[in-house]
Amino acid sequence: MEKNLAENSGKAEDMNTGDNTTNSPAAPEPEDNKLDAKTDGEGEKAADSDHAEGDQDPKEEEKKEEEEEETAEAPPDSPPPNLEKVSEDIDKLLATQQHNADANKKEVTTFDTPNFIPIFLQLVEEKMKRYETNEAKLGENAEEKSSFLECVNRISKLMKHFSEYAQSHQEEDQEENKDKVKGKTDLIINGLGALQQRAMSFLEDEFRSLMEESRNQAKPAEQNQNQKGKQQQVAESSEPESPAEMVTDFPGLPEETVTKLSKIAKEMITGGYGKECCHVYALSRRHAFEDGMHKLLGYEKLSIDEVQKMQWEPLEREIPLWINTWKECTSVWFPGEWRLAESVFGEEKEQDSSLSTNNIAASLFANLSRGIMIQLLNFAESVAMTKRASEKLFKFLDMYETLRDVIPDMESLFPADDGEIKAETTSAKCRLGEAAVLIFCDLENSIKSETGKTPVAGGAVHPLTRYIMNYLRLACEYKDTLEEVFKEHSKMERADSTSRPQYEDTKPNNNNKQKENVSPFAAQLMRVMELLDTNLEGKAKLYKEVPLSCIFMMNNGRYIVQKIKGSTEIYEVMGETWCRKRSTELRTYHKNYQVETWSKILSSLSPKGLNENGKVHKPVLKERFKSFNAAFEEIHKTQSAWVVYDEQLQSELRVSISALVIPAYRSFLGRFSQYLDPGRQTVKYIKYQAEDVETCIDELFDGNPHGRR
Amino acid sequence: MPATTENNNQGSFLGRISIRRNQVMSMDGSHDQEMEDLELFQKHIGDRFSELLSSTSEDSSSSSSSSSSGDALLSIAWLRRLLDEFLCCEAEFKAVVLMGRDPSQITKPPLDKLLPDLLDRGVKSLDVCNAVTLGLDAVKNLQRLAEIAVAALEQTPLGDGQVRRAKKALSALVAAMLNDDSNAAAKGTERTRSFGRRAGNTNATKYKSLSWSMAKNWSAAKQIHAMMSNLTAPRGAESSGLAQPMYMMSTVLVFVMWTLVAAVPCQERNGLGTHFPLPRQLGWAQPMIGLQEKIAEEWKKKEKKGNVGLLEEMQRMDKLGQSLIEFADSFQFPTETERMDEVKKHVEELGDICKKMEEGLEPLQQQIREVFHRVVRSRTEFLLALDQAAKSTTPAL
Repeated sequence: MEKNLAENSGKAEDMNTGDNTTNSPAAPEPEDNKLDAKTDGEGEKAADSDHAEGDQDPKEEEKKEEEEEETAEAPPDSPPPNLEKVSEDIDKLLATQQHNADANKKEVTTFDTPNFIPIFLQLVEEKMKRYETNEAKLGENAEEKSSFLECVNRISKLMKHFSEYAQSHQEEDQEENKDKVKGKTDLIINGLGALQQRAMSFLEDEFRSLMEESRNQAKPAEQNQNQKGKQQQVAESSEPESPAEMVTDFPGLPEETVTKLSKIAKEMITGGYGKECCHVYALSRRHAFEDGMHKLLGYEKLSIDEVQKMQWEPLEREIPLWINTWKECTSVWFPGEWRLAESVFGEEKEQDSSLSTNNIAASLFANLSRGIMIQLLNFAESVAMTKRASEKLFKFLDMYETLRDVIPDMESLFPADDGEIKAETTSAKCRLGEAAVLIFCDLENSIKSETGKTPVAGGAVHPLTRYIMNYLRLACEYKDTLEEVFKEHSKMERADSTSRPQYEDTKPNNNNKQKENVSPFAAQLMRVMELLDTNLEGKAKLYKEVPLSCIFMMNNGRYIVQKIKGSTEIYEVMGETWCRKRSTELRTYHKNYQVETWSKILSSLSPKGLNENGKVHKPVLKERFKSFNAAFEEIHKTQSAWVVYDEQLQSELRVSISALVIPAYRSFLGRFSQYLDPGRQTVKYIKYQAEDVETCIDELFDGNPHGRR
Repeated sequence: MPATTENNNQGSFLGRISIRRNQVMSMDGSHDQEMEDLELFQKHIGDRFSELLSSTSEDSSSSSSSSSSGDALLSIAWLRRLLDEFLCCEAEFKAVVLMGRDPSQITKPPLDKLLPDLLDRGVKSLDVCNAVTLGLDAVKNLQRLAEIAVAALEQTPLGDGQVRRAKKALSALVAAMLNDDSNAAAKGTERTRSFGRRAGNTNATKYKSLSWSMAKNWSAAKQIHAMMSNLTAPRGAESSGLAQPMYMMSTVLVFVMWTLVAAVPCQERNGLGTHFPLPRQLGWAQPMIGLQEKIAEEWKKKEKKGNVGLLEEMQRMDKLGQSLIEFADSFQFPTETERMDEVKKHVEELGDICKKMEEGLEPLQQQIREVFHRVVRSRTEFLLALDQAAKSTTPAL
């Protein structure tokens, strides 16, 4: 008795576990104990305080007697019956059996049912009763738990032993003895089995509440701080690209919990209850995972139908969340989940015939990950199905890249997958790629359908040109991906002959000039540029004045070339030759403009027809000056209202005009002004000095009509 | 017409699905040929479903698991055949309506309305596919429970422990099958029973957690209803043209989805309804009507119990589960052998069902995924054709 007293105070946890009266399970739990239980459940290291509280427990005195039998760590020489002692006996027995089995001795000891077995059963049952009525206590002390688990382990081994015994003796004819022995063994097996079931059921509950508890508390302790704020940030952040902002909180389980789970799982599997354990684990993890996706990553499940009906703006906001969720899952969560499954189930050796061991973790993980991945991929599929619109291209490509980047890692990410997840991912990726190609090809339509008949005032850059070029510049930030998507897509078409996207139909039309080595994307880009050109040429014809249409073409051409040169990506695609060709075209327009505008005016400055045998005809000369003045004024008036936005082009034009006109005018003046009478005549006919002409030229293409000066 | 020549090289596919169509079909269409195709399509649909109807074994719930005459109605194998037929119908449909045809034909009235309706139904069916896949996951969880029971009850000698173990699993199994959303009453009692600290672990929450959810507020019943709207047989002149196959395909799609939802536990099946209008006057629809009536009958039988799905294997599981629970309740060690023989048979049958599920559920899920992808792909093809049609009518510059 004294010994036990001492033992008890040393092992207060045991007391706590047992404090709630073995005899009356319905007895209410003392309030402070409940509290105690909770803190313990979370803290796990309250042994010391337990000790104190155990000592203060008012019921302690009453319990002592019961404790005496139930203390696991009682010294071997303590009065019987004692669990520790009996356990040793059982271990010895099992060791003998094991030895026999190892030695390949076929006969199993016909135990006359050693009487310590019923005692053992009784002791364990009592121990378990306490747990069952006051479950919270199990496991707050590692030693205590393992001693319970050890008991369970012994039961399982005994169970196995007796079952094997029963089996091996079933065939043997022992005539009259048979029934008696069999009955006896069966009785033991039944007793063992019943107890085992109780223990397993208890362990199952324990396993579940361990999983659920930590799920509700959500976090591994170390990562617990300020996680809320971080999540918020990510949920609101629309730039998932910056990896620094990615939260790496995986809704796993604290290490101690994992250790406990693993121990319980081991015993459950050993006892043939692995299915229950896996079932609980699988359900709990899937819920935890989905909860986490929602709560930690802000991912919202949307039905495909819903996505189709959504406006683009709200849907666009969902996409970064999805991308982030996808990246989190594939980079952190799935590996975490896999590690978790492995640490709970991984070390198990084959015990339960129906659960192939190493595969427990693998199959649990495979089931979970497949469900989650399909769910995530469904969103990608549903987005790809939404109505095509040019503004969606970039988000589609973001999603495409997100999927694409994970595919190479799929084998290591999902080692047990038979390729299904990879195939599904590839399929979703293809849908997005297809959609992106179609959207990009829709540019053709938006160019073709731009059939406005109102010319842009002053020959300025057409809005279509701006739109297309800016769109292309943005698109070409995704150049590599687009190249890939276009390549993939044409590959897919060959594989699946039932459908054929339109861009292929149009190919024969434009492959005459293109060389074989032009990538499909480059070809499409060229095609867009060609269509734009054609469209612009059509629009240029809307201008009544040929020079203005030249200016229009120059403006637009210049804009296009500038944009292309401004983006390395497009420049790479279009190539230097193309740009050079465009520049040549621009020069042609320039020349045309000069000819159209200035050749007539220059002809009035030509000395031809003025000088007949060294004699200058004054009336003709006057006429020449008059016509020059009128033409120049007209040009100045109209063309200063024209627009050349590009400063360089503007000055090029002005310089070239000056270079053309001013020397001619100057020499004309120099040569013929003398024939006019100074004074009235000169003032009347020579309205402009060369400098004035230059000033006027510098006022051209300003976009504001200058009045006559 | 570039599109027509373009599509002519798809003949191999046509051949495979046994629809004959002239390689060179001018765009104004040899009318007779078209009529023939449509008739063939109708006939095939009728044939497929009457095959399904006639080969369905009547005594689905009997213990004759050998089922030599055919697969039981709404069994896993039967559903797989249903989906096979669906995929065939779908392929033929495309052959009739889309291939070798000038795309502008599908943009003309009344198709300009019917085709988008059909495509919309297709989109809606994708959610149903996903819900059913999740539902089959839940069925797998039931299977796990049944496997536990089988494993326990197979033990010899059968002791109290294993019987209790089996009972625990079976109770969870049976309760899960009752735990439909509609069954608020059952839920209520569950809650009161599971009072106490362990409440979180007792039935109500456990069963609920056997399945995963779709998007918030998503309802299988509503989805099916939405698919049914605007589904009316073409009349008058329309009934001879392409409107007819459109209508047929829509009907087949709705029927298949309705059947899946009836069979498999899904989020919010409440109010699904046992009937939807099928054209009684049309020959090809007769077998479908026959099937619908049979399913409706099953439905009514199970309705009061608040079932979660008519899947034949589940229903049998339920029955076996209940009888085995009864056995467990009266079990005393050691058992009389006579009693054991019956139990043994039940356990074997339950084991058979588990095996069927183990072998069939995964392929069924894969097949549903195939349907999913097929619907997506066909939709894309139709949209492309519409694009093409729109393009060819766009005025050139």
